[in-house]
Amino acid sequence: MTKSEKPVRINKQNRIKRTREDWAVDIFVYAMAALIFFATFYPFYLSIVLAFNEGKDATYGGIYFWPRKFTLDNFTELIRDSAWGNALLITAARTVLGTIITVFFTCLVAYGLSGKDLLFRKFYMGMIIFAMYFSGGIIPYYMVLRTLHLTNNFLVYIIPSALNSFYLIVSISFFQDIPKELAESARIDGASEMSIFRKIILPISKPLLATIAIFTAVGQWNSWYDTAFFTQDKSLRTMGYLLMTIINRSNLSQSAAGDAYAMTVANSTITTVSVQLAAMIVAVAPILVIYPFFQRYIVSGLTLGSVKG
Amino acid sequence: MEKSSKRPWYVVFWRQRHLQLFTLLGIAFLIIFSYIPMVGILMAFKNYDISTGVKGLFTSEWVGLKYFVEFFTDYNSLNIVRNTLVLSLVKMVFTFPLPILLALIVNEIKIGSVKRLVQTASYLPYFISWVIVAGFCQIFLQSNGVINSLLISLGVANEPLQFLTGSKYFIPIAVITSCWKDMGWWAILFLASMASVDPSLHEAAQIDGAGRIKRILHITLPGIRATVTVVLILALGNLLGGGLGGSNFDQSYLLGNPGNNDVSEIIQTYVMKVGLSKGRYAYAAAIGLCQSVISVLLVMTSNFFSKKVTGDGLF
Repeated sequence: MTKSEKPVRINKQNRIKRTREDWAVDIFVYAMAALIFFATFYPFYLSIVLAFNEGKDATYGGIYFWPRKFTLDNFTELIRDSAWGNALLITAARTVLGTIITVFFTCLVAYGLSGKDLLFRKFYMGMIIFAMYFSGGIIPYYMVLRTLHLTNNFLVYIIPSALNSFYLIVSISFFQDIPKELAESARIDGASEMSIFRKIILPISKPLLATIAIFTAVGQWNSWYDTAFFTQDKSLRTMGYLLMTIINRSNLSQSAAGDAYAMTVANSTITTVSVQLAAMIVAVAPILVIYPFFQRYIVSGLTLGSVKG
Repeated sequence: MEKSSKRPWYVVFWRQRHLQLFTLLGIAFLIIFSYIPMVGILMAFKNYDISTGVKGLFTSEWVGLKYFVEFFTDYNSLNIVRNTLVLSLVKMVFTFPLPILLALIVNEIKIGSVKRLVQTASYLPYFISWVIVAGFCQIFLQSNGVINSLLISLGVANEPLQFLTGSKYFIPIAVITSCWKDMGWWAILFLASMASVDPSLHEAAQIDGAGRIKRILHITLPGIRATVTVVLILALGNLLGGGLGGSNFDQSYLLGNPGNNDVSEIIQTYVMKVGLSKGRYAYAAAIGLCQSVISVLLVMTSNFFSKKVTGDGLF
């Protein structure tokens, strides 16, 4: 009892009297905070609600906070469609493989460049920085992919993104902060540079690896662009791409026939929109689920980025 | 030290051959995926056939400025250039100040757990793909969607508004969705910078009788001026790409349709359509080059101002 009263008394003595302005600012700030919170989550929430509602029923509108006619049909339809199953597989594969390769390759190159007495280091760095700001544009880039037979190839998801200049620069400055003695003593013991990199540098750089891995994985998972423009093969379609085509198609049908947007499927409660919603939920679910765990690396990632290489 | 500097470079190079190898792998990668495409710009001035690959760049015949002339005499081009500029500028005007405002609001929350919660929530949308955001737009804005239902029940509209296909709605939707998606992310930087403002300044001002609004205006905002400058320069450098979020292409491609094409078609989407879908590679590369030139000029200009204002450039 006394414990809880004591700090209150001290506070009362020391606190400068709250003015009307303080109250006004507080009310405004908390109201805005609530609004931001609501605006951030409501789109996700409503989509989940609608995805679990019968598609035909949803076309009458009026669903805001709770499913009116609960169903799992939209998700079973999604699973039945083999295109989605394959897309999920491809997306998962590119996310896992792409992330591993980007993290490893970017860090390997960064390790090479982190040695301050590396010959031609200035020249290499210049090349990297220049390539960050200037590009040939998408068409010449496509030409290169075509020449390398990367178009219509699963590797187009993995190889061209294997080196990320931004993380490269971040990693270089991270590695430069690692005490030199660690690598030096291993070198004296006769370890090769590759084993120093794998057994000493990588294990003590876990926060860096986590940050790069998270951003790369999210990018890989969300990507639709490369599928849309660099592949034609149906078996290479990703979740993001399939969603994109559905959205583009419903845009079209909406402009052509207005309310025919939610095309119903015969003898079923589902509509194209309700299945699209189920797909959207499947596509964002992994991000929503892991977000609470990875969010602590996000801020550190951004501040790592502000360190100049 | 003296010894090593007198050694011929190839001896030093050989001694660090492993590190050189790691580095050169990266440099080779850059040459393939960044520098060869830069050389590929040549195709904008040539009668280039994509099936001839990289080699064809040098063997194909020169056509000079043919494609540039074609683009700028096309009845569509003025419209596309205008759309690109309008979308970029309007988005910059709205999406730049909002993260600062958000950071100010979050910074004024005195309950630590609420502060963290709101901030963490606010940058979640940054990790959601534009495809999903476009999906949200459809769900919310379709004729029987939440927004139309709300407008009708409030008596603001008599019939559903065609948000997704009406030209006049495209820019507002683009602005609102970029704010929703990227605001929290950029607020992180401003919040970090606000956290580094000396708390004794606030205490002193408080004792002198400065209210919270005064302290925000005279202590917090001046305290983050340097960060604001740097972020503004970064955003200006990517003006045509869509500023902070770099989202112009995604928005125009995903939210564009025949209904709003007259405002949603921008240089980037046009390049994709003409180039990759219609197979007019050289022509598309020429149009893309026009945008690249403007972008490079913007980067250089903002870097110049960065050096002037903060004494430190990006390169």
